[in-house]
Formats: sequence, C-alpha cells, structure tokens
Amino acid sequence: MKSKARRLLINLFLASLIIGICFAILYPILTLLPMIFTDLRELGAPDSIWIPSKFGVNSIEFVFRSILQGKPVIILQSLLYAFSICAIQVFMSAMAGYALARTDFKGRNIVFFLVIFVFLIPRQSFLITQYLHFKHFDVLGLFQLFLGHDVDLINQPITLYLLAIFGFSVNQSLFIFIFRQAFMGMPQELEDAAMIDGAGFYRTYFKVMLPNAVPTILTVAVLAFVWAYGDTYYTNYFHTDGPYFGVIIDKTFKDANNWYINNQARQWFDTADTNELAFEALKQASILTFLTPLLIIYFFVQKRLVENLDRAGIVG
Amino acid sequence: MKKMKYRTSRRVNGFLFVLPWLIGFITFFAVPLKNTILYSFNKVDVGASGGIELAFNGIQNFVDLFVSEVSTDNQPLQRIFFTENVNIFTNLPLIVIFSLFLALLANADFKGRGIVRIIFFLPIVLGLPLIVEWTADSAGRNMIESASGGMFGARMGAQLLLEYTFLPKGVISFLSGVLGNIFQLFTRTGVQTMIFLAGLQSISPSHYEVAKIEGATAYETFWKVTLPLLSNVVVFAVIYTMIDLFLNSTLTEEIYNFAFVKSKIGVGSALSVVYMLNVLVVLGIVLLFLKAVNCIEKN
Repeated sequence: MKSKARRLLINLFLASLIIGICFAILYPILTLLPMIFTDLRELGAPDSIWIPSKFGVNSIEFVFRSILQGKPVIILQSLLYAFSICAIQVFMSAMAGYALARTDFKGRNIVFFLVIFVFLIPRQSFLITQYLHFKHFDVLGLFQLFLGHDVDLINQPITLYLLAIFGFSVNQSLFIFIFRQAFMGMPQELEDAAMIDGAGFYRTYFKVMLPNAVPTILTVAVLAFVWAYGDTYYTNYFHTDGPYFGVIIDKTFKDANNWYINNQARQWFDTADTNELAFEALKQASILTFLTPLLIIYFFVQKRLVENLDRAGIVG
Repeated sequence: MKKMKYRTSRRVNGFLFVLPWLIGFITFFAVPLKNTILYSFNKVDVGASGGIELAFNGIQNFVDLFVSEVSTDNQPLQRIFFTENVNIFTNLPLIVIFSLFLALLANADFKGRGIVRIIFFLPIVLGLPLIVEWTADSAGRNMIESASGGMFGARMGAQLLLEYTFLPKGVISFLSGVLGNIFQLFTRTGVQTMIFLAGLQSISPSHYEVAKIEGATAYETFWKVTLPLLSNVVVFAVIYTMIDLFLNSTLTEEIYNFAFVKSKIGVGSALSVVYMLNVLVVLGIVLLFLKAVNCIEKN
C-alpha cells in the first residue's frame, strides 16, 4: 500500500516535470500567438492577455501582401533552395564520410583532423576574407588568364551551391563526421560480400553501403534542411537579393523600418492608434509564417527520425 | 594479385571521394584563414580598382582593437569577450545536463511518449538563430509577462528563494539568472537531446539486466552503467554545445560591424583572430576538464 502511494507520487512528479518542460520549450512560440491573432485594430486592449479581444488574421494577411509582396511563391522558393542544398550536402558529406571511414588512402587521418578543425572554427571569423575571396573569385589564376579579370561571385546564387558542393555550407563538417561514425559502425562483411560478388568500388558504395545508411541519411537530411532553411548567414552575405524568406523578414523588420511598416498597416487596415504594437504583431506574424512550413515538414518526418535514431549510428 | 589491385583501387577511389572536400578546404577555408591572419597584421585598404592594398603595421590592429575601438553598443571589446566567455562557461554545463535529462525522460516508457518526443526535439527547429532572436524579446511576451506578474519569470523564483531559504545572495542571483534564461537554454538543446537519446538507445539492455540482478538502485545504475557508457556522447555533446554557443555569440555582429560598417578590415580581421584563439583556448580547457573527470571516474 505504501509503495503504491509512493509510486503514484513519483509518477505525478514526473508527469508534472515533463509537462513543465514541454511548456518551457513551447512558451516562446505560445507567447507570439495572442498578438498575431488579434485584429490589428484591437491591439493593446488592456483586458486581453492570452485570448484576443477580437479575433483577426489581418497581420498574417499583411505578411503575404507586404513582406512577400503578394508572391507566396517565395516560401516555395526558400523551401526548394533548402531542399537542394540539403540534397547536395547529404550526397557530398556521405561520400567524404565513407572515404574517411572505409578506405585507407594516404593522409586519411590528417584529413579527418582537418574536418574536425573546420568544425571547431566558427564560420563567422572568416566573414571578411570569404567575402573578399568571393568578390574577387579566381581559381589558380585561371579566370585571370582566360577572361582577363576575376569573377564577382557576391550576390550570385551559385556561391551558395559551390559552398555546399565543396563541403563548406552550414555545419557540413559535422555531417561528414556523423557519416564517418555511421560507416565505421557497419560490419565489414557487407563490403567483403560485395567484393566477392565482383562489385567495384562505386557499386559497393551506391548499392550496398549507402542503402544501409538510410537512417543516418534521414537524420542528417533533417538537420541540413532545417539549417539551410533557417540560414541567414550565408544567404544574407553572399546572396542578399535572393528569394530567401528568412533574409527578407530579417531585412524588413529592422527598427529603422518601423515607421514605414506602421504606415503601410495604417493604410491597409486602418490601425490608427496602435502604432508600436502593429509593428511587433506583424513581426511576430512573419515569424510564424516562416516557421509553419518547417513545422509541418518536421511533424511528417519526426516519427521516422526518432524510430531511426538508434540505428543512425551517430554514437560510435 | 587481384586483392592487391582491389586495395589500390579502393585507396584511389577513397581519395577521389574526399577530393571535393579538400578543394573546398583550400579555397573556402585555408585561403581565407591565411588572409585573415595576414590582414590582421596589416593596414588594409580597398584600392581604386577594387583590389586590396596591404601595408604591414605589426600588432597595431590588435592594440587598436582593445585600446581605442569600441563595440556597437560603445563597450570596450575586452568586456564583450569577458561576458561572452562567462556566458559560455555557465551555459555549457547547464545545456548539456538539460539535454541529457531530456533524453533520459524521452527514453523512459510512458503513455504519450510520442508527443513528448515531438516537443523535446522541437528545439532543433525553434533553435534557429532567427527564431531565437525574434522570440526572445517580443512585445507579446513582454505583455504577457507584465500582465501575469512575471509568474514564469525569474523574479518570482528569486523572491521565493529569498524569503523561504537561507541561501547566500550569490547563489540566489545565479539561480534566478538560470531561471530567467531557461527558455533560451531550452532552445539550444535540440541536437544534443537527439544525440543523447541515440546513445541511450544503443546501450544494450543486458547491461541493465546485470545491474538489476546485482541489486543496483536506479541511481547507482545511472552513475555506474549509463553515464560511463555515454562518455563518448558526452564529449561530443559538450564540444557541439560549445561551438554552437560561440556561433551565436554577439562577437559575430562586431566582426561584421568592423568590416562593413566602419570599413576597418584590418581591425575586423584582428578581432576574428582573437575570436578564433578564444574558441581554441576554451576548447582546450574543456577537453582538459573532461579528461580530468574521466581519470577521477576510473580511480
């Protein structure tokens, strides 16, 4: 009897702990909702905190009309961008990770050390020189030789893809590391069997090893996608005028634009007395709009992500 | 003979597989690294034709950085470095412990575990710098917090502690700092929770069976079985957290500010170099600490 009561108490404690943590994780997002779904004209009504005094979605309408300039396709473009960067990252990192784990070319350990080193050095410390490097891009003086001038790669989409192809997009050395650990954990018999069957290097890799790494691929893909979609570092500095949702919101909601945005809101929605709050509400609405596609995708993949975790071999 | 050929071909192809990365390393990492260090010892000007003009001036950039230059909010740079480092050393253990704790909870068996896991991994998405920055200080949150009397805030907690415990003030201010920061801390846990959960699931159940047969309590099992088996994962999580914290520190803005707003590329590069060294020093300290802990464990 006593132990039963004790167990109940412990369970109760754990349950409240879990609910509390869930609340703490969701809290920053929850606090955005009341303002977003309050009608812009009713903002700042003193008697409403969590439940809007007058429900309205015109702040979200504003995001589509003003921030996206009536082109919701920008969201699709950002998603597509994130997807292609993610695909390139997975493909290239898996290759590098496999080579580091399963082949013993000369200097393998040095390369692995360099991968770790790259991960440890924050990318921001190269902001200046990378920027100048892309501004006057040249490979071994070849462009100088054939074109007579170097190439300006700033504000070109290709810069971002080049970074991903050559392994230096967002946290890509981390992905190489994860793939290396995963391939290290795979049994040697897989490769031996493939060799006995007469499969060459590429066949072994694409037909045997890569399919066996699907859990890892999924884990890396989710991280790569989220980070590419949310990246405002590379996109902002190297392709400022590109159709990236994050960059657009980041630039629009500078404090300097406060007046402009409020003015627009006043014209469209007749928000006479709620100036400061309208700016904030619109900012929050744009965050939510930015986040929604990501959350939808997350809900679809999370189940497989969690199920696969133990097989992803990140641990090694 | 055939075996020989097979092995050589594997070597060659393996090298081909990392070749793109090596090219990237040279063009996108080694050259910028070299230039950053070079610029930090030079007065850098952008010439009329758009080219870079360098004039060696020794450690003048570093002297300027810490003596005459100020940050965007008019503070001396060494103060920014100091606060950033204090932040990292306090938040690092908290985040790692939090994420281990979250993983332990997510690994337990209970009803509704699926939903709880969805929420526990949500920081992977909610931890994007963009979202953290915008939700941290939003008007909506300020309104709610002022209306609810800071019910979920740090003030309340600190007050309770002050009134009902006899803890020294320093401890209370630290605790209330943690409490006030708790939402920020949770946004940084996503990846680590995932890694820890993967680690927990890879521990074979037979370890726990043995512990149970030996009559170990849950507490003992955690310290003697779970944690030692997770030691690799802990190292990884610690390093990841550290890098993540550095990536999101305010120093980044300062580098941008020096280079593109004040047009002092030399000083900005000097700041980058100091920043890099800072990361490596902290990493060294952390690794030494982990090694020491490991030695103590073994004895």
